[in-house]
Amino acid sequence: MTRADYGVAAATLLLLVLLYTLFWSESRAGFPGDGRAEAARIATADGREFTLPLDHDQILELAGPLGTTVLEIRDGAVRFLSSPCRGKLCIHAGWLRHGGEFAACLPNRISVAVVGPRTLYDSINF
Amino acid sequence: MNMPSQQNKGRPGGRARRRRNPQLSFRPSFPVSFPVSFRQALWRAFLPALLAALLLSACGQRQAPADPQVYQSRFLALGTLVDVNLWGVDEDLGARAVRVVEEELDRFHRQWHAWRPGPLAELNRRLAAGETVPVSSERLALLRRARDLSLRSGGLFDPAIGGLVRLWGFHNDDPPNGPPPPAAAIRDFLARRPTMEDLVLEAAPDGASGRVRSTNPALQLDLGGFAKGYAVDRAVERLLALGVRNAIVNAGGDLRAVGSHGDRPWRIGIRDPRGPGIIAALETRGDESVFTSGNYERFFEYQGVRYHHILDPRTGHPAAGTLSVTVIHRDAATADAAATALFVAGPQGWRQVARQMGIEQVMLIDEDGRIHVTPSMNQRLIFQSEPLPEVIETPL
Repeated sequence: MTRADYGVAAATLLLLVLLYTLFWSESRAGFPGDGRAEAARIATADGREFTLPLDHDQILELAGPLGTTVLEIRDGAVRFLSSPCRGKLCIHAGWLRHGGEFAACLPNRISVAVVGPRTLYDSINF
Repeated sequence: MNMPSQQNKGRPGGRARRRRNPQLSFRPSFPVSFPVSFRQALWRAFLPALLAALLLSACGQRQAPADPQVYQSRFLALGTLVDVNLWGVDEDLGARAVRVVEEELDRFHRQWHAWRPGPLAELNRRLAAGETVPVSSERLALLRRARDLSLRSGGLFDPAIGGLVRLWGFHNDDPPNGPPPPAAAIRDFLARRPTMEDLVLEAAPDGASGRVRSTNPALQLDLGGFAKGYAVDRAVERLLALGVRNAIVNAGGDLRAVGSHGDRPWRIGIRDPRGPGIIAALETRGDESVFTSGNYERFFEYQGVRYHHILDPRTGHPAAGTLSVTVIHRDAATADAAATALFVAGPQGWRQVARQMGIEQVMLIDEDGRIHVTPSMNQRLIFQSEPLPEVIETPL
């Protein structure tokens, strides 16, 4: 191969890497749950699933078969603030902050999982 | 331009194979002569580029939001939330594997539900009536296992006390409202106290089925503290049969983990029974189960007193002195039964029961919040609180 051949090969590869970073990975950045920032993935009684960023403080009211469950997102963490269940296991779980942390209010059919790069746990035992 | 191609045709070797179909080779219809080196350069540049593109796009498809390498699914089964993590599977195998787990757990739940009308309720009715009941070899194997574990626990894990669980009102999807059962009713139950020794299991000569009878009419089977573990074991067996090598099956907080998260072990967080958050983390090794029995799981309060669901068969009351017991053991059924038995044994008796049951890795948190661990458990746990909690390590 001549020097020009190496040049063509290198240029092609470079272009490919460039295209990849420009149009593939960057297009995915910034979405909640894309592995770049912590986010809460919430599943509700009606089968809906959605993801909210943890860097945006808010209070959420979610409807379930027993009534309203309230979630709080604050300072990069999420927790069950109140729920109409009797056991209160969901509230007992406290603030969820790291990727892999998880809590659910089974009676009211609402679950919250933290997703993100700082995955401390693959699964929670209780 | 045509010449090299024709020469290559008759020659053995990699390039000849590629050119066998002249339609596939680059062949301009007009007489032009490309420098061969340029054509080669195109190939040499494009092949790796194409390969790289394929590889990159293959990675992209596996990119799930939570963890790019983990196939995860959550669903309701066994009356609880089941969480399945699979590592190193493609979309297709992942979906199939989750379906199989769901199917296995559903089937199990219908078969062994403690209070809904179904096969177990029917078995209990016939045992109470003094009948000898024919059962399949599968059910016989499960009952035998439950009986063995119960006897090894010295009866502290006792699936024969379904009648007592009902008396306390825990045979219900929702926890009871109280009041606790009258003292006379509990005394009466204890006077007739059924144990798994009252359950007579016989295999039929053909080995394909068996028979069950009870020598105590008060015996009512309730497989809580065992069924979940047994079902998780079956689910994991089915995953392995499908070719899944790395998985966690977590049923309502109790889990069995096989393999690893590829480049690192599976990481488990154990929730703190004393307050919010995680008390300790641990990394699983190969194939093992982590089960916790806690007094916070199911309970009711009546006139300011809290009554939880883990009943002591010796007193007829909720077992006293313990907040939670966490057990690591190879199979989930044993871990489940042991966590229950050690909870009942309490801060004084748990070591002896652990020895009897062959359990080495235990953490017990007593009602004052003190953490008791065996040395082999202490080596595994990475406590998460700052400052580190005081841990009481005692050999078994």
